[in-house]
Amino acid sequence: MELTILHLYPDCMSLYGEYANVMVLRRHLEAMEVSVTAEAALFEDEPPFERADFIYMGAGTERTQKAALAALLPHREALKAAIDRGAVVLFTGNAMELLGKSITEEESGKIWPCLGLAEFTTEETGYQVQGDVVARTSLWGSFAVGFMNKRSETYGVTTPLFQLVERGPGNAGDGEPEEGYVDGNVFATHLAGPILVKNPDFTDFLIKRIFAAKGWEAPERLPDLPWEREAYAVTLKELADQDADTPPGPYPQG
Amino acid sequence: MRLILAVIVCKLLRFVGGLVGKGSSLPGQFALKICPDALGRVKLPAHIIAVTGSNGKTSTVEMIAEILKKDGRRVVYNKEGSNQIEGVATLILSHCTPGGKLRGGVLLLESDERYARHTFKWFHPTHFVITNLYRDQLTRNGHPEWVYDAIRDAIHPDTTMVLNADDPLVSCFAREHDPAKVKWFGLDECSVSTKEHRGVYHDGARCPVCKGRMEYSCYHYAHIGHFSCPACGHRRHEADFAVTALDLKEGRLTINGKTEISLAFKSIYNVYNILAAWSVCALAGADEAVMAGVIDSYLLKNGRMVTFRLGKHRGTLLTSKHENSVAYDTNLGYIAATDKPCTVLVIVDAISRKYFTGETSWLWDIDFERLNVPHVERVMLCGKYCDDLMLRFRYTGIPLENLGIDESVAAVARELKEHGDEDLYVVTCFSDRDKLLAHVEKD
Repeated sequence: MELTILHLYPDCMSLYGEYANVMVLRRHLEAMEVSVTAEAALFEDEPPFERADFIYMGAGTERTQKAALAALLPHREALKAAIDRGAVVLFTGNAMELLGKSITEEESGKIWPCLGLAEFTTEETGYQVQGDVVARTSLWGSFAVGFMNKRSETYGVTTPLFQLVERGPGNAGDGEPEEGYVDGNVFATHLAGPILVKNPDFTDFLIKRIFAAKGWEAPERLPDLPWEREAYAVTLKELADQDADTPPGPYPQG
Repeated sequence: MRLILAVIVCKLLRFVGGLVGKGSSLPGQFALKICPDALGRVKLPAHIIAVTGSNGKTSTVEMIAEILKKDGRRVVYNKEGSNQIEGVATLILSHCTPGGKLRGGVLLLESDERYARHTFKWFHPTHFVITNLYRDQLTRNGHPEWVYDAIRDAIHPDTTMVLNADDPLVSCFAREHDPAKVKWFGLDECSVSTKEHRGVYHDGARCPVCKGRMEYSCYHYAHIGHFSCPACGHRRHEADFAVTALDLKEGRLTINGKTEISLAFKSIYNVYNILAAWSVCALAGADEAVMAGVIDSYLLKNGRMVTFRLGKHRGTLLTSKHENSVAYDTNLGYIAATDKPCTVLVIVDAISRKYFTGETSWLWDIDFERLNVPHVERVMLCGKYCDDLMLRFRYTGIPLENLGIDESVAAVARELKEHGDEDLYVVTCFSDRDKLLAHVEKD
């Protein structure tokens, strides 16, 4: 079993240690005896979308994000072809915003047309939208934990990755219940950093999707890597203890 | 009249506050309520020096104060480190005459990088020193380009900018400033320079102006070095104040090819702090011999390094800052440069003293790979986030059998007290260090 991970712009779209998402996914796949090739594309490169089974981009500064947009726009059709073929895509942090229709700058009002692979739009804010996040999704059976740190709000997502944010900001800012975006095998969230390290169930979920796209059979229970579930439990408990008014209850089943 | 009242109230509250040991921002806060534009009304001295940046502010300010005092100036500065507007108001008003004139020849301010524009709304520095900009407490400060934008809004066109020439982002401040009002300090290529970048992330990989691929002829540390962007031409400026030779092992440096100075604290960061202090003091007209004399005999109040004994272990606590990978990397580099067999203890328990967060992404920005050297025989991972630490260490290449994990700092301290005699290094933050220090005998 062989597959290819394509990491977009790792030299600069990795503001919160996002490179670790690729490393942890790779290690999980290798624990399942998959032979993984990880390729990186920089702004100057033509990304090899045609052979990618998993495509990842992390967060950058707003200015770097615009440069990433300029680099990626000419390759939109190749990315779309990969998505249509079933490649699994994960864009985290403000890389998520590139999938939508546009980003509007706060002061100048300048509009940056984006990839248009999703219907949502993003408006940059003059203030920081940040906080620890606990959120639930219908896709896998546990809360997701993470941290958001952005200066933007995203509107018009009709298919959020997380349907209910229990703690922390959502797509459209503080107090908004929905976060992220999902469509088929395209996943996006504004959670920053190594979210796959922090959320082993998300990693397992993505692996099952990758396996299905490859036509491979995934075991019902994927191998756990040591300390990941312990680290997750500590963070979930910490965030719940801090927020005694609205603690995340037991995860709803079914 | 309001100003006089504000000055009196500020002095009174400061006095009372001093008696009961209360913080230094409250008097200024009250005074600003009485006279909101007090800072615009007071008569300030000819030299107003401000220092900001991610790291080195406090050390640089203290060194500047020492130098200028020895040079015969009366220096008013915020040694308590209350660097937001209320703290600055307390400082200025409590050092004013009742008529509102600052009693001093130099006003020296450590300025919080995010709030400088509030402080400098009412007056502006004659000299503004910017030490460096890098990832520091991203949860609270945001990323370096946000911090850059916040500082940029605080810059007055009449201010002389004193900038780190080796930092590509800091160098951008000169782009919108009168070139005659920009002075540069920097380090020539020297014994500490490397051709390759060292670290798990590289914030100088892309030009801050055009996001093209940056080239470096050498690195001093992290993204600090001699950079140039082939795409847009953004490049390091020739330094007006340069360290032209540096021997960190011996602790000697040479400024502008003529003044030799010995270093009390042999770190590259101290070199930059000295250089920043030297530059602005020279611009303020301080005597070079006085400057060299002060720095030569300068004893850094280095509370960040504490030596102790724990059982038969000789221990050194290296205080880093959580959420600041550059601070960690310095200390890890220090340990890697020792040569005796040792155990290293890393503690991440409370991420901040000041606010709550469970955010641990920054562990992945730290170059823990530096501990993958033969003389580091064992690394113990402690505190609430020991599992997160372990996950990070599983990607360092350090063999699993050399890694230990225990949430309880007390349990690890007990174990170390009873067993072994190798050197011990402890790397952690101010927020967590007392959890270990409670179990040791300090030297």
